[in-house]
Amino acid sequence: MLRCPIRILLCMLAAAGLSAQQTEVVLSATSSAKLVLAMTAPKASGLDEASVSAEFTAVLKRDLDESGVIAVLQERLPDGGAPVKAWKEAGAQWLLSTRITKAPGGDLQMEASALDTAAEKAVYTRTFNANRIVPLRYLAHYLADDLVGRLTGEKGVASSRIVFVRQVSAGVKEIFQVDRDGAGLTQLTRHGSLTLSPTVAADGRLAYVTYKGGAPAIWGQRRKDGPHEKFYPTVGSDALVSSPAWSPDGKRLAFVQMDRRGNSDIMVLDLATGRARRLTDGNGINTEPSWNPNGTQIAFTSDREGAPQVFLMQDDGSNLRKLTYEGLYNASPSWSPNGAMLAYVSRFEGKFDLFVYKLGEGKAYQITTGVSTSESPTWSPDERRLVFTSNRFGSSQLFTTDLSGRQILRLAEFSGCQSPRWVRGR
Amino acid sequence: MRYGTYLVPAAIVLTLGSLACKPPKTAEQIKAETQAAFNEGYQAFKDGKARETNPYLNDKENPHKMQGWYEGWDKAKADKDAADAKAAADAKAAADKAAADKAAADKAAAEEAARKAAEAEKAAAFKKAADAALQTIHFDYDKAEIKEKDRALLQGIADFMKAFPAAKVEIEGHCDERGTNEYNLALGNKRAAAALAYLKTLGVDETRFTTISYGKEKPLCTEAKESCWSQNRRGEFKLK
Repeated sequence: MLRCPIRILLCMLAAAGLSAQQTEVVLSATSSAKLVLAMTAPKASGLDEASVSAEFTAVLKRDLDESGVIAVLQERLPDGGAPVKAWKEAGAQWLLSTRITKAPGGDLQMEASALDTAAEKAVYTRTFNANRIVPLRYLAHYLADDLVGRLTGEKGVASSRIVFVRQVSAGVKEIFQVDRDGAGLTQLTRHGSLTLSPTVAADGRLAYVTYKGGAPAIWGQRRKDGPHEKFYPTVGSDALVSSPAWSPDGKRLAFVQMDRRGNSDIMVLDLATGRARRLTDGNGINTEPSWNPNGTQIAFTSDREGAPQVFLMQDDGSNLRKLTYEGLYNASPSWSPNGAMLAYVSRFEGKFDLFVYKLGEGKAYQITTGVSTSESPTWSPDERRLVFTSNRFGSSQLFTTDLSGRQILRLAEFSGCQSPRWVRGR
Repeated sequence: MRYGTYLVPAAIVLTLGSLACKPPKTAEQIKAETQAAFNEGYQAFKDGKARETNPYLNDKENPHKMQGWYEGWDKAKADKDAADAKAAADAKAAADKAAADKAAADKAAAEEAARKAAEAEKAAAFKKAADAALQTIHFDYDKAEIKEKDRALLQGIADFMKAFPAAKVEIEGHCDERGTNEYNLALGNKRAAAALAYLKTLGVDETRFTTISYGKEKPLCTEAKESCWSQNRRGEFKLK
C-alpha cells in the first residue's frame, strides 16, 4: 500500500475576473443535466506522449464520464488551431486544456484551465504540484475531482477506493482494496481464512469478520493505520458474530450476534469500554445493520414477520418500523451518505435487483433489471453511484451504476468479489 | 731356607688338622646304616604300621593319591574349576535374567501393542461409526425446518452420540448462493440451531455440540441451478 502521504499542493491561481464570473454553471446533486466538456490533448513537457495519453487522458476521460455531472465531448477538433467558436459549435460548454511538466527532479506540475465557450472567459484555473511518487493516474483523479467540486460544490470521487472481499482459494477469502478506476489492487488482510464483511470508518479504519480462530470474530483497527486486532467476542465467549458496521463517528461498531437458538441480533459495541449492547429482541434473524449518516438510526434486515424485510430503528433499539412491504425478500440495506435514501436488494423472479428507497417520497425505485443477480449495494461518497456485485459476466464481479441504472460499468474484472464498500480517500 | 718359611707351617697345620678331625665313614659303616634303616622299615611294614607312618599318604579314601605331589596341581585345577563354574553360573544367571527381562518386555510390548490395537480398533470403530452417522442434512430454500426424510439421519447422529459419550460434534449451517452474504450467515445459524434443537429432543446433551454458520461462503457446488443449490442448503456434522 502506498503509505507515504501524497501531498498534492493545490494552488489556486485565481485568474483576474474569475470571482465575478463564478456562478454561471452550478449543477445540483440531483440534477441529471450534464456539462459538456471538451478536452484538448494535454501538453506535456519532460514526459512521454504515449504514457500521458494512456495514464492521464484516458483516465481523466473515464473519471469525468463516471462523475455523473460532466459529459466529455467525443468529437475531436484539430488541437491548437481550432478557435473557441468551433468548440462551441461542436457542442462543448467548457473547453479544458492541461499542461503537465515534469521537473528534472521528477516532481510533476499540472496546470489546468477551462474556458467557457459561450462567454469565452476562463472559468477554472488551477495548478497542481505533486511529488515524484504520484502516478499520472492520480493527477487525472485529482483534476476530475476538483472539476466536479467546481461544478457541484462537492468534491468528486475519482480518488476514492473500493474495499471488498475476494476469494483467494477454496475456503479462503481476504479483504482487498482497489482504486475507483479498477487500478491499484491491494490486499489488506492476510489471515489465510474466511474473512468477510469489511466496514471502513470515516477516518479509514477497517473492521471485518474473520474465521481465523475457527469461530467468527470481529477484527479491526483501533487507530488509523494501526494494527489489526480482535475486537469481539472477548476471550472465552463462544458467540458467533457477523456483519460489523462502523458508526459514522467511528466510536461504535454495530454488528450481529447469533445465538444457539437460531436468532441473530443487532448489537452495538462501544470501542472505548468494550461493552456490547443488544438492540433487537431475539426474535428470528436480524442482520445487516447500516447506520444513518448522523448515527442516530440503524437500518437492518429482519425475518421477524417470516420473509426478510428491511426495518429501521433508533440506535437504542426503539422506534422500530418496517420500510419495505413489496416482495418476499428485501435485504442488504445501505443508508446513503446524506441520509435521504436507502439502497437495498430485492428478489424478483429468482434473482436479485438493486432498489433505492427515497425516504422523502416514501417510494422505492428499481435500479437494475435483467436476468443476472445484483447484490450488496453501497453508496459512493458523493451519492451519485452505487457499487455492487453482479454475476452478469459469470462469476461475481464489481460494478458501479448511476441511480438511473442506465450507466452500469464494470469496475474491474476480478472474479469472486463480494461485499464492496466505497470509501473516500486513499 | 726360602721354601722352609712356608712348608714348615703348612706341614704343621696339616698334621695337627688331620689329628683333630673325625675320620670319614667307611663303606662298611654306610652299608650297615642303610641295612638298619631298611630293617626298621621292614619291621614297621610287618607290624602293619606302614600306612600310618607313611608321611606321603594321608588320604585314607584314596591311598594312591599322593597329596604331596598333587596338591598344588589340584588347587590350581580346583580354583580354575571353581572360577569356571562361577563364571558359568554368572553367565547363566545373566542369561536367565536377560531372558526374564526380555520376556517381561515382550509381554509388556505385547500388552501395549494389544492395547494400541484395541485403541486403534476402537478409534477405527469410532471413526467408522462417526462416518456412518454424521450424514449431511438438507433444507428448503430460505427455510431452517428439519425435513421429514432427514429425521432418520438425525436419529442416527443421536444414537452415535449416545454410543460414544466422549464424542463432540460441530454443526455447520450452509446456504445456497441466493440471498445476501450476511442474511445467509444468519440463516445458516438458524439451520444449525434447528438441527441442534432436534438432536436435543432426541435426548443428546446439547453442550456436546457447537454450532457455526458459513452462510453461502463454502458451497459444495457453484453452478446456478437448483440441483446445485439444493446440495448447498445443508447442515454438516463434523467431529470436534
